[in-house]
Amino acid sequence: MRNPLMKRIPRELIGEFGKYIAIFLFMVATIGFISGFLVATQGLKIEYDNSFEKYNVEYGHFVLKKEATEKLTEKISNHGIKLYEQNYNDLDVTAKGEPHGIMRVFKPRDEVNKVDLLDGRMIESDDEIVADRLYLSNNDLEIGDVITMQGNDFKVVGIVALTDYSTLYKNNNEIMFDSVAFGAGIVSERAFDDFGKGNLNYSYAWLYDKVPEDKQAEKKDSDDLAYDISMDCLNEDNELTIFIPRYANKSINFAGEDIGKDRPMMLVLLYILIAIMAFVFAVTINHSVVKEANVIGTLRASGYTKREIFVHYMISPMLVTFIASIIGNILGYTVFEDIAKEMYRGSYGLTHYVSYFNMDAFVRTTVVPMIIMIVVTGIGLWRKLSYSPLNFIRRDIVKHRREKAVKLPKIGFFSRFRLRVIIQNIPNYVTLFFGILFSCLLLMFGMIMTPLLHTYSDNAVAYKPANYQYILSSKQEVDPEIAEKYCVTSLKMIDSFFNPEEMSIYGIMEDSRFYKNLELPKEGVVVTADFAEKYRVGVGDIINLREEYGTGLYAFEIKGIYETKSSLGIYMRQKYFCEVFEKMIDEHSDSMDMFGNALSKIMGERDESYYNGYLSDIDLRGKYLNEENIAAMITEDDLTSLARQMDVSMGDLFNMLYIFALVLFALLIFLLTKIILEKNITSISMTKILGYYDGEISRLYLLASVWVVIISSVLSMAINTALFHVILRIFMKGYGGWFELVIPLSLYFKIFIMMVLTYLVVAVFQFFRIKKIPMDEALKNVE
Amino acid sequence: MFLEINNLKKGFGQGSSRVEVLKGITCDIKKGEICVLLGPSGSGKSTLLNIIGGIDAADSGYVAIEGEKMADMTEKQLTGYRRKHLGYIFQMYNLIPNLNVKENIEVGAYLSDNPLDIGELLNTLGLYEHRHKLPNQLSGGQQQRCSIGRAIIKNPDILLCDEPTGALDYNTSKEVLKIIEQVNRKYGNTVVMVTHNDAIKNMADRVIKLRDGMIRHDIRNEQKISAEDLDW
Repeated sequence: MRNPLMKRIPRELIGEFGKYIAIFLFMVATIGFISGFLVATQGLKIEYDNSFEKYNVEYGHFVLKKEATEKLTEKISNHGIKLYEQNYNDLDVTAKGEPHGIMRVFKPRDEVNKVDLLDGRMIESDDEIVADRLYLSNNDLEIGDVITMQGNDFKVVGIVALTDYSTLYKNNNEIMFDSVAFGAGIVSERAFDDFGKGNLNYSYAWLYDKVPEDKQAEKKDSDDLAYDISMDCLNEDNELTIFIPRYANKSINFAGEDIGKDRPMMLVLLYILIAIMAFVFAVTINHSVVKEANVIGTLRASGYTKREIFVHYMISPMLVTFIASIIGNILGYTVFEDIAKEMYRGSYGLTHYVSYFNMDAFVRTTVVPMIIMIVVTGIGLWRKLSYSPLNFIRRDIVKHRREKAVKLPKIGFFSRFRLRVIIQNIPNYVTLFFGILFSCLLLMFGMIMTPLLHTYSDNAVAYKPANYQYILSSKQEVDPEIAEKYCVTSLKMIDSFFNPEEMSIYGIMEDSRFYKNLELPKEGVVVTADFAEKYRVGVGDIINLREEYGTGLYAFEIKGIYETKSSLGIYMRQKYFCEVFEKMIDEHSDSMDMFGNALSKIMGERDESYYNGYLSDIDLRGKYLNEENIAAMITEDDLTSLARQMDVSMGDLFNMLYIFALVLFALLIFLLTKIILEKNITSISMTKILGYYDGEISRLYLLASVWVVIISSVLSMAINTALFHVILRIFMKGYGGWFELVIPLSLYFKIFIMMVLTYLVVAVFQFFRIKKIPMDEALKNVE
Repeated sequence: MFLEINNLKKGFGQGSSRVEVLKGITCDIKKGEICVLLGPSGSGKSTLLNIIGGIDAADSGYVAIEGEKMADMTEKQLTGYRRKHLGYIFQMYNLIPNLNVKENIEVGAYLSDNPLDIGELLNTLGLYEHRHKLPNQLSGGQQQRCSIGRAIIKNPDILLCDEPTGALDYNTSKEVLKIIEQVNRKYGNTVVMVTHNDAIKNMADRVIKLRDGMIRHDIRNEQKISAEDLDW
């Protein structure tokens, strides 16, 4: 015979529809989103990994100062590689009368770094262009639009993914990519030639004849190749200006490294949310067990086993979790997969997406939530059911039943009453507190990040040393009244916590007019305040850095902190810079590149007037500085690109977290206040009989919860502020740069108001529940 | 002997606040008997019933059913014992609020490999017309009849009734007692009934009066009358 208690389950689910549907929908949304995220990241990662072979992605590329002669090409090809010309032009784009950053334009690519056509068609005539999807979408450009580059109009006919530009880094040395201000596209060979050679970069991609066996071998091969090519260039009157092996190319690798990086965070989020829901179930089940104690006692006395009763009470939460998992997964593969996919496609120019069934994700979003539910809910229930049948019949199943009432201070009757309600419901309020703590954390995360990014941008602009910073590829003198020389190089930071980050090391002239507040020691370095905060270092500490492609190691003693904002940097005197980095007088070349300097080391003496950049408040290009001598120019746009890109790529996530947190908060308040009211249904009924108005009863029972909500909210904000410092460190682990955590008081106020308002909405519902409680409830339950 | 109770002792509390509720109860109850336990509050009758029912344990002495001693049983065996041999009826009906009458009785039937016919039992209990109603749609007497149905559907050897009419008025009480008597006659279960009501002893085969934890009278009722004729 089927257990007749089973018939209670659908009735229980229908009878408590509000409670179950709220939990169910929340779980569906949580599981759906996480499942979608896991599925999407797997699909994206598989396609990303496959794209290397499918689109024949380069093993590296290099840029020469001049076009490679046939002889040089032949020489280079003899180093075990096959070369492919990948020349490009970086051109200013105008569309619909507005500037739209820079487009890196290539000729059609048929052999290496092939493009994936996502929409539209490939170019058929000389006035057509296909361009990267992300750049077009970020600039509100679409198929059919016309863009202008160097005076020529091009009609966008196709949207593509360039596999060597899945992340739109214009320059491999950039801290952060900017897919709003930089894109890549392809025009016909003729149209490309028409751009002339003014902006032309002589770039060559290579594939190895014999593919290196592993990463170490690849690094060694590319190191050897860099040396060989630079030597070949010297012999052939050319110069190697950029050399980027694939493993070091952020444009190729960054997306692959980033996809799925949030996976542990998402899984932790899932498990925490399921655990909170399980706690809510545990509280509601506990409430049901107490309410039905005499029935349980009778059943146990009649011969029902503890296990049978346990299973009976566990069915509803398990059923809800199971169905939520299944529906969540269905939504994960349909609705949420697209949302998650678009989150990544909002940051990266990825190839066609293919969905794959993800067994691991399925297990993690179905089996694991079920296990969490069994553990969290089951342990408490099993212990509760350990009371004897007689205890149940006598309703003597509350542990630590207070012999005496807690003594309360002499306060008004209403306040004392509310305090009694709080004391009676401590377990519920403890759950509520943790729920508020967690939803407050999500809320803070959702609300803080965008203002944090804006503050970062504002500070980056306000504290910038100069309007323009130039890094030179070749020396050129500029009037000191107009520009100030400085030195810069980059090293990789060595830190046990953060991923190796490229750090700019500046050599600043004494009495610099651009760094007036920067007091530099004769030896040692000064680091920015953000640097000190990020790496938790101070004056007297030693910081360690290494060369990115070389073997050099550097250790600097911090002699001071530079109080600037939104900047990570290491500063030293220009003379000390020359000493540390052994900048030598190069009699043979004005070249500023690493190979030129290495050569000078052998041939010259130390150059104490070395510089490789200019700081200026006016644009030096053209009039004061030849474009060909500029390796990079840093403007306001570049300083704010980190914040801008994070805002573009993660803004939706922040908003989702914000909404999610409010829903979680409202749900917990609703469920727990509902339980508190249900526990007191007889008392509420009795107070009605005594002549209390509904408003007075609401003040007694709902205001008690208001106190708890207010105190929990304030405590949560304080605890979460401390927690947030830790979370931000973890969040920033994979990113270069640093955000100073400044939470304005107004934000706390806003969060507090949001929480209280949400509570008030729930309280209105509960007020109507109180109104509905009949007076005969008190008379029915006399035992 | 069917139900053997031997020198049963039970106390509650510790030290100076300890109260000895049962001070050595010994008696035997035959199969098919209606045995009424009478006594004032605190005399130990409910405690005795709970020990017979295996939901409370004696400090010393034993209860044996067909020679099987309960004191030697594990918690699991005790549950099995209750499942196999016992039916419980309480003063408060303890029905499951969201199951209807028939389903509440099925809750008892589920525990038996050979339950009684539910339709016939509903007719016997006079609940057939009400079988689809929820407990809150029933009167007190109907609810108690339903709880009797739940207890006897599995055709238990012993029906333990703890003040089954304690919450009912005169007419409804008689109605419930008639059902218990009818069930006893029809199915031959042993009935052990705890009550305050002295008049109920008249329908019993056996009357045991308890006072201060001891048996004061253990008499066989030779002038047993039917529940129909009870009056108080």
